Amino acid sequence: MPSSQSEIPVPTAAPTPVTLIEALAGGATVHEVVAVQGDDPLARRLQTAGVWPGARLELLARAPFGDPLLFRVHGFRLALRRSEAQRVLVVAGGAGS
Amino acid sequence: MNAVAPVSGGAVGTRRRVALVGRANAGKTSLLMHLTGRLQRPVNFPGTSVECVEGDVAAGGCTLCLVDLPGIGSLEAHSRDEQEALRYLRDPDRGVALLCAVVDASKLVVELRLLAELRRLGLPIVVALSKVDVAAAEGFPVDVDRLRSALGLPLLVVNGATGEGVEALRQRLAGDLPPVEPLAVAGGGPAAPAVAARSVRRSRTDRLDALLLHPLAGPVCLALVLLAMFQLVFVVADPFMGWIEAAQEWASGAIAAAVPDGTLRSFLVDGIVNGVGSALVFVPQIALLFAFVTVVEASGYMARAVFLLDRLLRKVGLSGKSFVPLASSFACAIPAIVASRILDDERDRLATIAVAPLMSCSARLPVYVVLLAAFFPPHQAGLLLFLLYLLGVLAAAVTALVLRRTVLRGGVSMLAMELPVYERPRLRVVGAHTWHAVRSFLRTAGSVILVAAVVVWALGYFPRPVAIHEQYEALRAGVPATVAGDEERQRLDAREAAAYLEQSWLASLGHAVQPVFAPAGFDWRTTVGVLAAFPARELIVPTLGTLHSLGEVEASTDAPDARLTEALRSAKGPDGRPVMNGLVALALMAFFALCSQCAGTLAAIRRETHSWRWPVFTFVYMTALAWAVAVAIYQIGSWLGYAPQ
Repeated sequence: MPSSQSEIPVPTAAPTPVTLIEALAGGATVHEVVAVQGDDPLARRLQTAGVWPGARLELLARAPFGDPLLFRVHGFRLALRRSEAQRVLVVAGGAGS
Repeated sequence: MNAVAPVSGGAVGTRRRVALVGRANAGKTSLLMHLTGRLQRPVNFPGTSVECVEGDVAAGGCTLCLVDLPGIGSLEAHSRDEQEALRYLRDPDRGVALLCAVVDASKLVVELRLLAELRRLGLPIVVALSKVDVAAAEGFPVDVDRLRSALGLPLLVVNGATGEGVEALRQRLAGDLPPVEPLAVAGGGPAAPAVAARSVRRSRTDRLDALLLHPLAGPVCLALVLLAMFQLVFVVADPFMGWIEAAQEWASGAIAAAVPDGTLRSFLVDGIVNGVGSALVFVPQIALLFAFVTVVEASGYMARAVFLLDRLLRKVGLSGKSFVPLASSFACAIPAIVASRILDDERDRLATIAVAPLMSCSARLPVYVVLLAAFFPPHQAGLLLFLLYLLGVLAAAVTALVLRRTVLRGGVSMLAMELPVYERPRLRVVGAHTWHAVRSFLRTAGSVILVAAVVVWALGYFPRPVAIHEQYEALRAGVPATVAGDEERQRLDAREAAAYLEQSWLASLGHAVQPVFAPAGFDWRTTVGVLAAFPARELIVPTLGTLHSLGEVEASTDAPDARLTEALRSAKGPDGRPVMNGLVALALMAFFALCSQCAGTLAAIRRETHSWRWPVFTFVYMTALAWAVAVAIYQIGSWLGYAPQ
């Protein structure tokens, strides 16, 4: 199975998706998920935890030394390691809320 | 209404099997507790009930057989718990008639995805909506009526903490089975009620997290929580342990009064009572520790500790979630090994299980206390005690690192963990957890420790040559019946016991094995003590007591037996040199810090890994490590001129 299996086509008008880590480096704290890379237990785990296309991740806290990270998604709190956040492709979105 | 259903509700005398299903932490277990009105087997962190738990309850004339399944996230099993739950649901022999889907209102969007999947199982579903108050407090209130009509399923609001709404749910579960319909609303439709603008800016949990997850204040708070845990285990548990020791003495005394001196009395007192006592004496610490762990867990803080420590623990090849079993291991490794089920990656779990017994558990403390009191002034003893705990932690870190680079290489370690909202822990839940931990300790460890204690007793008791008895009878006959004579007779009794032990099978074994421990500076008596301690480490204390002709010596965590410390200091070898000194004591304590001397732990590892490989491996590596470190300490110390002379 190709590794891009779970990625969805990105609308041409949308900005280029970047990994969640790259997006956070830009300073904004709220980002919208466009895809989870890969098709392995970790990718499936992220999906069942609510990290799926359209979900909005809001950075709430960083553990000491910046890893793991705490996000709000669908109204609850989800801790992700940087390596896990690396799997998540996002576009910056909804910075106003 | 019940056209599709095989059984109509409410029929008197029928049994209906109802499975409680839902994601981990959805509140299934507390719901089961309220439904059955009894304390059931409790959840394990982070909310999975690790085994299928059943409870019967009468409702509306029929009997509901309620099954609390481990949390599932989807119909694809990722963890062992999920596999168990899904196998149960799909097994026609189990005869599940109805699903009670427990839906956490504060995570409605992801919950509804799971609910959509559950409908594919083709079983009737009743929805129990929990944590509606949490959702509101977090600023995402749920419109229950809209949700109910969107789902087209019977939906009842329950409160797992207070039990509100549970009676109505019980009646509904016993009522007519709802029809099984294909998914009425497709896709994310039912999610609509939850997608509302957030109504509060900062919830209570947000405010607490600002402190408890603060980059600086967070770790400080965590250190304080750990400190409180140690205080509880070592200070608060102490009087309770004293009572158990007193009860043990009373039982020994009662048996001694009722049973004539001989093999039977020795078997009952030194074998059975001693064995039961060695297991029971840890119950207060285990109970307190688990009560504490449950409070920390139920309050929502445990997940924060995992969050704060994940990076550190990952550096040594473990996971943040390893923190829970490793912390428990300072009291007792047996419940800790069971608690390691929270680790979803099998390699993380095995590595955690393998290193958890290296944490200095409460059974090591009496050994440290005796040796420190015998050979070190109090101001050094405190520091050394800390270093012994540190030795265990460091050894665990190194071992975990080595394991994860060799036999347990690879694997997909995951965190991706929900941090629940902070909640006030419920007394009932804390009580249930604690009772469960104590019961499982007594079941796993109690029997093994008892058997092992009886075996060690037999090895130390037999053979019983008549010659020794006659020799001491003759000596006793020559002692006058005065007060001074009574003391002399007691001394003779103690020497007789030592004489028996010196020619026992245990001593023969000690002499045979002693060359192995000679490089660590252990004499044959210490070696016998070490051998006797393999089933349960605290057994070295009474064994050394007998070997040094002291009669009965109790293992104690606060006040070491003064006669034993004196005897250890003054014991001489055949060449007239002292056999023990600070250096030997140090080597012996390091040996105890690292060695796998607990039959209960090995039994727990066997049960949790379903193979003999890991208990055997754990035993071998820990014993080899302990030996190597003890030898290194003694040899380096001797080279520096600290050997006994």
